[in-house]
Amino acid sequence: MSAIPYVATEVLEVLVQRQTRSGRIAMTLAVLALIGVAAMPWWASTGTIRSILVLCCYIAVAQMWNLLAGYAGLVSVGQHAFMGAAGYALFVLAQTYGINPFVAVFLSLLVPAALAVPIYLLLHRLDGPYFSIGTWVVAEVFRLTASNLPLVNSGAGMSLRVMKDYSAFERNVAMSLLCAGMLLVTLGGSYWLLRSRFGLALIAMRDNPVAAASQGVNVVKLRFLIYVASAVGCGLAGAIYFMAQLRITPGSAFDPMWANVAIFIVMVGGIGSIEGVLIGSLIFFIADRWFGEYGATYFVVLGLMTLLVALYARTGIWGLISKRWDAPWFPIRRKLVDPNR
Amino acid sequence: MEWFDALVQGVLLGGMYAQYALGMALMFGVMRIVNISHGDLVILLSLIGISIATAWGLGPLPVLILLVPLAVLMGWVLQKAVLNRVVGSDPLPSLIATFGLSIALQNLMLQIWSANSRSLPGHGIESQSIEIGGIYIGLLPLIVLAVATGLTWGLDLTLKRTRFGRALRAASADVEAAAMTGINPRAVYAMATAAAVGILGFAAVFQALRSTVAPADGPAQLIYAFEAVIIGGMGTVWGAFAGSMVLGISQAIGFRIDPGFGVLAGHIVFLIVLATRPQGLFGKALS
Repeated sequence: MSAIPYVATEVLEVLVQRQTRSGRIAMTLAVLALIGVAAMPWWASTGTIRSILVLCCYIAVAQMWNLLAGYAGLVSVGQHAFMGAAGYALFVLAQTYGINPFVAVFLSLLVPAALAVPIYLLLHRLDGPYFSIGTWVVAEVFRLTASNLPLVNSGAGMSLRVMKDYSAFERNVAMSLLCAGMLLVTLGGSYWLLRSRFGLALIAMRDNPVAAASQGVNVVKLRFLIYVASAVGCGLAGAIYFMAQLRITPGSAFDPMWANVAIFIVMVGGIGSIEGVLIGSLIFFIADRWFGEYGATYFVVLGLMTLLVALYARTGIWGLISKRWDAPWFPIRRKLVDPNR
Repeated sequence: MEWFDALVQGVLLGGMYAQYALGMALMFGVMRIVNISHGDLVILLSLIGISIATAWGLGPLPVLILLVPLAVLMGWVLQKAVLNRVVGSDPLPSLIATFGLSIALQNLMLQIWSANSRSLPGHGIESQSIEIGGIYIGLLPLIVLAVATGLTWGLDLTLKRTRFGRALRAASADVEAAAMTGINPRAVYAMATAAAVGILGFAAVFQALRSTVAPADGPAQLIYAFEAVIIGGMGTVWGAFAGSMVLGISQAIGFRIDPGFGVLAGHIVFLIVLATRPQGLFGKALS
């Protein structure tokens, strides 16, 4: 019997590099931008704050759609259901029950979370494209229910009159802090998620759900959690948006326009990346300011652009950029580096 | 009696929905694609039909004869230009492409025809009715139901008996295996979409005759077609027909309870079916 020769394997000292120079620069800029948003009342007019609030809502909703469609493979066209639900919850809590509106914003998030659970359990039975239309039906059900529900003043809608108890400056401070918080939760939260263990699972799932499941990723559970998280994120955007609007009606609360916005931003910017959401949001925001007055023609162009991106450039603008330059703003890769070399 | 009347009206309404649902069932069955602009195509065809009728002073039947070939052509172009590029196992590209198309079509129609509601002049046909046992049944809804039944029967027979139908069923079962036996999937897909949109040509004329159409009405028609297909059970043409009846009856009874509840009643029945029988009322349970 001969002994198995023992070979001394040399354990290589490797470093896991997770941040890049472009990432550090982008992170610094992102933190500065976040501080800038939080400090808006001290440098921006009320009009500017409102515009930036809308931009922040675009970014948040688009990133939530991106998580769903870009990672979980769940193409929803009905996320506005949760925006409206949280918006209405805020109005009912603050206006009808007299809870401090700035507390009610957070309490109202319980509604989309609670609704998302049974809805997902129902809709996940639908196959691929049918899931999408199912989400749309749910949004329609919400809209029609709100139109018939005396608690939310039926079709006439509600106004947030309690906001007049606060001065314009106080409201601006609250709005700015809420916007900064929303960006931190939706973008920062997504970034943190993608860099964590779950991020690896999510990316594996995006590339191939069957292969990911075979590697031990609990695809079913992860999809469910992403759906609920996305509902809460959209709810936050809805609550903040309608708090700034001061008025909510079934038509505005459950407006399919938000699905258009999210899909346009993510597809044109680049699906499956945070950078794409930022690029897409800026493009949409600027286009909306410049061309919004052209109404229908503008939407024809928007629709055709979405169509063309789906046909010819599925990775969007960020996909084209990252193919050319390897400089991610929000790096999520793990790179092994040999320190001796 | 009142409820029996609602039931009859529901079946007649179901005839309308069946005309939307057939095309959707066909396209999903063959390509696993849902065309989000399905409803917008109905509205586009309706508006074209109304414009033709007013410009040339035509009655509903000549409009139908002109519109159906146009619809077939539109379906074929849609397949060649858009859908053939996005068909595949990933549902995202086809959804996004047809979603973009839907937004573009809706707003294009808004530009051309404005937001006004219009309808197709029926030269009296829309107001005629027959009385059977105390219930008045409109002649037009009866024709709609008869046409829907005829279309369902024809489509079912085509799928079962003809060479084209066999090619379609082969392609829907396994595209690659079908291609090996000499079927060109792209050609089959183009014919399926042409047939699906062709049926929408009928739906467009009847929709414009029995009620009004406006450029923003498309998504509602898409949702009704979708609900009918899911309620009935995917995979069968008669299932889509039966689902349309269930949806029509639910809405008619809902409207009888409260006018604000009609459409919602249809959605609720859809959700109940989804919760209790996800394979649909007439679909086979997935193993």
